[in-house]
Amino acid sequence: MTLFNVLVVDDEQEFRDMTIKRLTKRDITAEGVESGELAIERIKHGDIDVVLLDVKMPGMGGIAALREIKQLKPLLEVVMLTGHASVESGIDGMKLGAFDYLMKPMEFESLLEKLSQAYERKRMQQDKIEQAQIKHDMFMNPS
Amino acid sequence: MRMAEERSDAIRQYLDQQILLLSTLSGMYPVKVIGNQDHLDRLFKAINERGHVVDLQVIDAKGVQLSYVGPHRALVEGKKYHDAEWFNDTLIAGKHVSDVFLGYRNIPHLVVAVTDPLKTYVIRATINSEKFNALLHQAQMGHSGDAFIVNPEGEFQTPSLQGEKELTSAERELLVHHEGTAAQVMGSYLYTTRWIKEGQWMLMIKFKVSESLGSFNERRNNSLMIIAAATIIFMFSAVLLCRYMVGKLERSDRRRANMDQQMIQVEKMASIGRLAAGIAHEINNPLQMITNQAGWIEELLPDEDPALVKNFDEYRDAVSKIKFHVTRAGTITHRLLGFSRRMTTEKECIRVNELIEETISFVENEALSNKITIERELDENLPTTMSDGPQVQQVFLNILNNGLDAVDHDGKIVVSTRADDASIYIEFSDTGPGISPEVMKQIFDPFFTTKEPGKGTGLGMSICYDIMKKLGGKIDVNNKKTGGAIFTITLPLRKMGEPGQEEEGTFGYEGAIS
Repeated sequence: MTLFNVLVVDDEQEFRDMTIKRLTKRDITAEGVESGELAIERIKHGDIDVVLLDVKMPGMGGIAALREIKQLKPLLEVVMLTGHASVESGIDGMKLGAFDYLMKPMEFESLLEKLSQAYERKRMQQDKIEQAQIKHDMFMNPS
Repeated sequence: MRMAEERSDAIRQYLDQQILLLSTLSGMYPVKVIGNQDHLDRLFKAINERGHVVDLQVIDAKGVQLSYVGPHRALVEGKKYHDAEWFNDTLIAGKHVSDVFLGYRNIPHLVVAVTDPLKTYVIRATINSEKFNALLHQAQMGHSGDAFIVNPEGEFQTPSLQGEKELTSAERELLVHHEGTAAQVMGSYLYTTRWIKEGQWMLMIKFKVSESLGSFNERRNNSLMIIAAATIIFMFSAVLLCRYMVGKLERSDRRRANMDQQMIQVEKMASIGRLAAGIAHEINNPLQMITNQAGWIEELLPDEDPALVKNFDEYRDAVSKIKFHVTRAGTITHRLLGFSRRMTTEKECIRVNELIEETISFVENEALSNKITIERELDENLPTTMSDGPQVQQVFLNILNNGLDAVDHDGKIVVSTRADDASIYIEFSDTGPGISPEVMKQIFDPFFTTKEPGKGTGLGMSICYDIMKKLGGKIDVNNKKTGGAIFTITLPLRKMGEPGQEEEGTFGYEGAIS
């Protein structure tokens, strides 16, 4: 049984493969894409809980992708992970609603912890919305 | 001129005063009373309080002496005066003032005589003319000036201040009758003359021309001195002002040169920063791959049968070392990228003594080659604390490097540690020249360096200061009494899970946003 679904967005295939392999070993469903554009396409099809997003990629960069992802799926959590970062891009990422902004090299255990925390938050937000929906339904249809 | 008038007025007043005195006596007392010896004795005492009346004599209209008070009683006793010129002069004119004569005691005297209104007797007084002379000599005449009275024959009636006994032939020519005051320059002297006592005496005042201009000269000299003093003060002020301005310009130039130097340094640092950031990026990605691969091996190792893998433990150790060093390298690249601040949020338990040992090992070779020994006085029971190891180590390294530079060669650096309930103290003392008060003031200022241009960034101590502040500790610097500098680092003692007291606001974005 899978714990949650992660989309790994990074232009380095080796990184994607290794991360997916190690996440899968821990019962986390993971798949990878190599660009921001592909990430958005994939997210539209649903089933993704957390996105692990690189900042510097050919084509659409991580920050632009984050903006679109948050517009498409506000509940979806995004963890930024980059080898090249500045305080400014970190602040941009956090303002746009990223769950965290991490620096490479990152130990897998720490990365895993961040992804789990991100999923946890997504689940809690979702629960709140569902609870509110139930209350709303009960109010509308008391029977 | 005015002086001659003033003096002549004073003399006239003086003589008038003497005449008035005798006239009063003659008016008040009839001959019977005043001719009485006892009575004259009493009158003499009454009028001669000041002692300038030498004697007093009463003579009847026929020239017979009636009474006398004075020192020459024997000489005048029974003397007849009916033939005396002055006596007859007095009876006719009512009053008489004699020329000055020396008298029996060789003291200059002056005789004043008046007759009573009925002309029944003559009263005569001999006046000591010293007081009279003093009136003349009060005049301001300079060192070589003179004032005296002469009679129409040119005989001195009062002594000359300059000790002259008689007039010069040129001076005698001045004895011409004239009205009022006359002034004439003869030789180097200015003479002022005035006939007094109804033409019987001439008051002669003489000044050296150069001295009579004394006050003018004095005033002129004063003015010149004031002008000279003002000029000197002005020039002095101008010189001072110029020097001050030049100094100020020089200082500002130096400051500007310093600023330029700093700007060059900042630009250099910025370009180094950009380069470092670029390199860091290129390194971070491979580092991520290395740590991932090592992690993967670590994950897979437990699947192996240790009995079948000969060096199982060695592999496991190697993998953990790879991961450790990747983390170390990562710390460096993060710092290069300006992310070191963010990393401090992740506290770890640090062993200060171990960090010191490790830091010393970085610089030991350099120290050895310069014959500098690094001694350790480490407290073996030093507690651990929650802090940022790499950053604390950076501070240690910086201070050690500065210490090595200060000692230069053949010296010693002593590193000691101790702790109390609240803090850990790390002291670095060196045998260098110590720190001058000027340097001490700026030692923690960014871009301040004592090293040659290009050798030091001037950021080391400033970064150390920032780091220690951020970690809730501090860094102090002092000079030892025995010479050399001593840096003391105070690191707060924090147990695991205990909240830090750093200034969160100065941290990276993580602290600022969440």
